[in-house]
Amino acid sequence: MRHLSEHDDAEINRILSREDEILPSSGFAVSVMDAVRREAAAPPPIPFPWKRALPGLVVGVLVLAVVLVGGVVAFTQLDKATAPQLSMSSPPAMSTIFSGGIESAAIWTVLALLVAFVSVKLSMHLTSSRV
Amino acid sequence: MSASDDQADVERVLAGNISAFEGIVQRWQSPLVNLAYRFCHDRGRAEDMAQEAFLRAYRGLGQWRKDAVFSTWLFALATNLYRSELHRIPARTVSLEDIAEPPDARASDGGLEDHDRDLAVRRAVGTLPPKYREALILFYFHDMDVTTAARSLGLPEGTIKARLFRGREILRNKLPQFLAVPRLKEA
Repeated sequence: MRHLSEHDDAEINRILSREDEILPSSGFAVSVMDAVRREAAAPPPIPFPWKRALPGLVVGVLVLAVVLVGGVVAFTQLDKATAPQLSMSSPPAMSTIFSGGIESAAIWTVLALLVAFVSVKLSMHLTSSRV
Repeated sequence: MSASDDQADVERVLAGNISAFEGIVQRWQSPLVNLAYRFCHDRGRAEDMAQEAFLRAYRGLGQWRKDAVFSTWLFALATNLYRSELHRIPARTVSLEDIAEPPDARASDGGLEDHDRDLAVRRAVGTLPPKYREALILFYFHDMDVTTAARSLGLPEGTIKARLFRGREILRNKLPQFLAVPRLKEA
């Protein structure tokens, strides 16, 4: 590794402190002022419609809470029901759910799709009515 | 450039006179475009970045606290924007290995022109890791003023000094053939 020298520092200072200057193009200031005027003329950003969204948000939170509570209850009941068939290799509730088969999976899938569909339709309705 | 002119224009703009912003643009267009140019070395992109900096300054004029001069606030805002832009879309640079290769055999014999050497060192700055590159760019842009460079980058002066030292060290080690040769004109 080279030893660092004061001469090198002086060279770097000399080279980098006299870097070429460029002049802004003639229309630059006009272009900036046009952009500023467009910015000033633009309507203020639309605030989030809390009043409209609040009922939906509350309903959404409630539904989520109900689903979670229902899931936990179902989980514990299944756990108790299948307790005698426990195996060491897999948790009992999980094995029950997985062995529940296609029917329960299909129900959850349909429910998830339904929730997604409703939320998309609701948001589209809200935005279109706003415009 | 007068700080009182800036303050007067800012107050007029905040009072609703948009045209007063033109005074700020006229006074600071060259420094902001040149600072952007040092970051990206592309004239067109430098103007685009400087325009965006002015727009952000216009939007944020109300946030300027008058405990610092307007130019300090403006440079800090512009520097922050330029750093983000360069992080988003890096400037085109050649690799340090390519720069470190002398352009021809004659050059390696000490016949390298000053212009080539200067160009190589400037290009090498563009290949440094961002934190060292930014410290070097701001330091030399502000006429080797550590305090102003530190304010523009929003960093303590000690950090800037450490980064300048390390940045120069990398340059010296990566470009020995450019910096080790004493300039005949100075001898």
